[in-house]
Amino acid sequence: MTSGSIFAVFDPAGPYAGSITTLAWVLIAMFVAVLAVVIAALWIALRGSGRLKARLGGTRAIWIGGIGFPVVVLTALLVYGLTLTRHLTAPMPQDAMRVRITGEMWWWRVAYLDPSGRPFMLDANELHIPAGRPVLLELESNDVIHSFWVPRLSGKLDMVPGRRNTLPIQADGPGVFAGQCAEYCGGPHALMGFVVIAHEPAAFDRMMAARRAPRPVPDERGRQLFRSTGCAACHRIAGTEANGMAGPDLTHVGSRRSLGAGILPNNRGTLAGWIGDSQAIKPGNRMPPYKTLSAADLQALAAYLEARK
Amino acid sequence: MKSETGFDPALYARFPTPGERPEGELEELERIWCAPRGWQLLTAVNNNYIGFFYVAAAFLFFLLAGILALVMRVQLALPLQGVLPQDTYNQFFTMHGTVMMFLFAVPMVEAIGVLLLPQMLAARDLPFPRLSAYAFWAYFVGGLCFFTSLFFGLAPDGGWFMYPPYTSITYSPGINADFWLLGIGFIEISAIAGAIEIVVGVLRTRAPGMTLDKMPIYAWAMLVFGVMIIIAFPSVILGTLLLELERAFNWPFFDPTRGGDALLWQHLFWFFGHPEVYIIFLPASGLVSMMVATMTRTPLVGHYLIVLAFLATGFISFGVWAHHMFTTGMPNLSIGFFSAASMAVSVPAGIQVFSWIATFAVGKPRYNVPTLFLLGGIVTFVIGGLTGVMVAMVPFDWQAHDSYFIVAHLHHVLIGGMVFPMFAAFYYWTPMTSSRALSEQLGKWAFWLMFTGMQVTFWPMHLVGLMGMPRRVYTYLPGREWEVINMISTVGAFTLAAGVLAFLIDVARNFRFTTDSDAGNVYGGGTLEWLPTGLYSTRSIPVVKSREPLWDDPKLAEDVEAGRYFLPGSATGLRETIITSPLRAEPQYLQIMPGPSAWPFLGAVFTAGFFILLTVQAYIPSFACGILAVICVLRWLWDTDRLVKEPDVDVGAGIRLPTYVTGPDSHGWWAMMILLIVVGMIFVMGVFSFFYLYGVQPRFWVAPADLWSLAMVLPAYGAASGLAWLARYMLAREATELWTPGVLFLCGAIALATGIGADLWSWIASGLRPDASGQGATVYALLGLEAMLAAIGLLMAGYISARNSRGMIVRPHNNSLDLCVLWVIYTAGQGALTAVLTRAVGG
Amino acid sequence: MRTWAFLLGGLVIWAVHFFTLYIMASVFLTPPLARTLTMLITLACLGAIAFLAFKARRIEIETATDSWVRAVALLGMGVGGVAIVWQALPALLV
Repeated sequence: MTSGSIFAVFDPAGPYAGSITTLAWVLIAMFVAVLAVVIAALWIALRGSGRLKARLGGTRAIWIGGIGFPVVVLTALLVYGLTLTRHLTAPMPQDAMRVRITGEMWWWRVAYLDPSGRPFMLDANELHIPAGRPVLLELESNDVIHSFWVPRLSGKLDMVPGRRNTLPIQADGPGVFAGQCAEYCGGPHALMGFVVIAHEPAAFDRMMAARRAPRPVPDERGRQLFRSTGCAACHRIAGTEANGMAGPDLTHVGSRRSLGAGILPNNRGTLAGWIGDSQAIKPGNRMPPYKTLSAADLQALAAYLEARK
Repeated sequence: MKSETGFDPALYARFPTPGERPEGELEELERIWCAPRGWQLLTAVNNNYIGFFYVAAAFLFFLLAGILALVMRVQLALPLQGVLPQDTYNQFFTMHGTVMMFLFAVPMVEAIGVLLLPQMLAARDLPFPRLSAYAFWAYFVGGLCFFTSLFFGLAPDGGWFMYPPYTSITYSPGINADFWLLGIGFIEISAIAGAIEIVVGVLRTRAPGMTLDKMPIYAWAMLVFGVMIIIAFPSVILGTLLLELERAFNWPFFDPTRGGDALLWQHLFWFFGHPEVYIIFLPASGLVSMMVATMTRTPLVGHYLIVLAFLATGFISFGVWAHHMFTTGMPNLSIGFFSAASMAVSVPAGIQVFSWIATFAVGKPRYNVPTLFLLGGIVTFVIGGLTGVMVAMVPFDWQAHDSYFIVAHLHHVLIGGMVFPMFAAFYYWTPMTSSRALSEQLGKWAFWLMFTGMQVTFWPMHLVGLMGMPRRVYTYLPGREWEVINMISTVGAFTLAAGVLAFLIDVARNFRFTTDSDAGNVYGGGTLEWLPTGLYSTRSIPVVKSREPLWDDPKLAEDVEAGRYFLPGSATGLRETIITSPLRAEPQYLQIMPGPSAWPFLGAVFTAGFFILLTVQAYIPSFACGILAVICVLRWLWDTDRLVKEPDVDVGAGIRLPTYVTGPDSHGWWAMMILLIVVGMIFVMGVFSFFYLYGVQPRFWVAPADLWSLAMVLPAYGAASGLAWLARYMLAREATELWTPGVLFLCGAIALATGIGADLWSWIASGLRPDASGQGATVYALLGLEAMLAAIGLLMAGYISARNSRGMIVRPHNNSLDLCVLWVIYTAGQGALTAVLTRAVGG
Repeated sequence: MRTWAFLLGGLVIWAVHFFTLYIMASVFLTPPLARTLTMLITLACLGAIAFLAFKARRIEIETATDSWVRAVALLGMGVGGVAIVWQALPALLV
């Protein structure tokens, strides 16, 4: 369901992650070099010739190795780190695309914002972005602290209740990028995944236009079931009477690549399985099991949802 | 020569004294210091026993928390395993972190201090033996109860950092979180008690002549350690208090919907939490510095550099707390300050590492088990230190934070910086307290298994962290190539555990606890703990002329043993030690020390009972325990602060010292001042919370209580401190009636209560309620703190009156009265500040 | 007390500097003002350290302890000074 490199931080897909990767390599080089110096010094101290040992054995060695050397290296690193911090948090262009992502226990509410900052399209657990353009994420939380982390696109940033943090991300090319909640938020925190999908800008615009086009009329049985079993109490499907806001918005659930916040591939079978007993798949999540539904009903519901593209 | 106290250092030339000591003197010393046997051992207060119990208990918690880690590693070895269900795993990792930090690491370094320091300083015992006993028993009983919560599924599951709002009553309705808050609460109290003991011990009970520059490096480490606990722990005490108030009474400190802020907790927690790392590391670094010198048979190179490194660490580590919060969205400028301080704090670490390397280069290292653990520790610590520099770089931390990279980093720091040195210390100092040394062979097995296991477990975690694996996950999905790495880590963890097992076998086979027939100085150490000792510590207290007295004066051990130095017997027939001056360690007076007593033990059990029963909401038994605990503590104090019939005695070579000293020179005064600093720090953190919430959420603030009410509050506090001072002043006057000081003090305490009462009343009249907003919550928390101090002041008034009525408050000055006066004056000052500051800002 | 103040002087000045900057950055959230103040405070603290170091040269040395205290104190001023300079870098670079 989530493809792409397994080397996350070492394989950045955009400028925000890329400059951190460069920094990481510099730091790793520093790590290796300093560790080599320390081990060499230890080796000399223990096994070296008398002449070398004499040079190392005294306060001068401490002044050079323990004070002078670190001060020089650390000053250089500090200047680098602070400059980079400024670059990574530089203000975004005013017309950048904005998306509000709200952490929930244990999924992500996604709202695409218009230029005035109002949501015009709701989604969950997946974010579509145009490649090659910066996107500003507004990170919020409605319950506990979560942390938004898609390592190939940027560093992580916490979602703190009562606050709004902003995080710029950008993908250089089309691709699928996996992420996961990075701040412990209780229960199934381990199963709170996220997916970012970057499209060619033209394809992205087409997709958004298609989503905003009038919805096809849903089939009556699924819609009926969706209401009668109580799904609509928590879930919203735009264009129908289902407008619950407690759970993920399902208007476009059929087009998602994954289910259960990035943990299952999305198809009719997994949809039916999730509705029937999501607690077996993701223990502790807020959706009750519907074990009393017949197999036919489950299939019908799944088919109905699968068609919500 | 220059003197600090008027004592003439030329008098040191009288030692060692010639001639034989009188018959029976040593036997009397042994009789006075003999330890109770059987069940009575629970009443022992001697540091040889308490220190040993303390080390053993802390090690037990190390094993328990280690077992939790092994189970977690099994769960993570493969994706989607079902060994530990989600909730249990969340409790396991919370308990692993909490137990390792609060029940193992801090108590362990404190325990080693209690065991080693008096010997190293050649004091008979630490200055407050009953306080040590109390601190140990409270920790042990409470810690066991706390750990047991795991077996009932009641263990906390909010992580060792307990971030609200997850830990608020809304998201953690069970009593699990309360177990953490109250359980940790009294472990903190126990740590502070130990820190007071250690600070006063290092500054005031050193052997005569042990000036600051001749202090063993370990004593320096423990001094900085103690001071850091005193500054850092109040912050988390306040934090736990506030979170418990929020949970129990709905006071919204951390609730953003009512003017609280979730990040306030993080500030309070990490202001303690980061110094905590150095609190653990510094004592271990002190141990390493001692052992490196012995193992290379050469004095430590750059002793003064290491002392400075300790001091600098002590300071700068208080400027790095927010580097745990780089990803919370703090302003860039603030982030930059903390990043810079995080860089600065690694300079002292570099000094220490290169001092050790230089010492190895000068000397001829011996490759025995302690040396192996030292070398392994140094390398491991350097790795952790370097990854620490990496995460101090803000942008890199945005990737590494809360990932397995951090897990790898912190375990390298703590295992390399504290655990390996601890095992080195076990091997090195066992001959001091066991009749047999530990085995070199088994020790080498233990080391190589632990060292290999450690590296195999944690190196791969750096990688898996940067591959995107977050911390604190009970499982992970297949297909991300995390499986192999996690499996390697699990294999490593079991290798590490096998090493610990080898050590346990070694202990079972060779460790035999003893207080007087120990194996002796097998490694040839040069400091005073290697003098021949009994329960009374050394027979006589030597004059210290260098940093390694045993190396520089080969006859020292014999002379000390023969009683040719200070205090060769008991001068008063009681337990006693010499109190010396803080800078130059000139003898000042003879402290009479308390002996075995059941009261500290009982007080500790009731204290633990109070907190644990409070957690399970058994309120009436809990408060009964609380009252009993107070009674026990008062009862133990009752025996202390007594005059002996000789106002001054001969402590050897005709040098006479007083047996009762009051005022700023007395060790009790020092302890009270330190306690007031602790209380003051709690207050400062409270004031910080108040202004912080005002800064974050000003729109929730309303007008404060009327200013004119200060006209009632401030004079009351003024009267309180005036009356308390007058009580002390009147006691010094010849003509004063017996009852005058007690009555004056009582009036002072009542004035104190009036002050806080008036302040509370004016706030209630203002209409603000504690559950209304962050303002209400912090204002009433500050008032509550003041009310608690005032209540203790009233309790003191009762205690002083009781002692007064028994004629125990003796002219011209009396320590009990002095210390209580200090308390009242401080409380009045804090009350006045509370009254003014809470009215300073508002809507 | 004097001895302790001298011994820890450099580090105490670092602490004063650090917490002043922290409070200032929290109160004056506008960067230009915060930057200027940071510079002023930094110069003042560095000046204080220089003054202390200058006084250290003239302190009376009688015993080994005295010269030891002076050595540790001077080193503390050095470390404190470097840390203060680092502390000021964010105001210039961020």
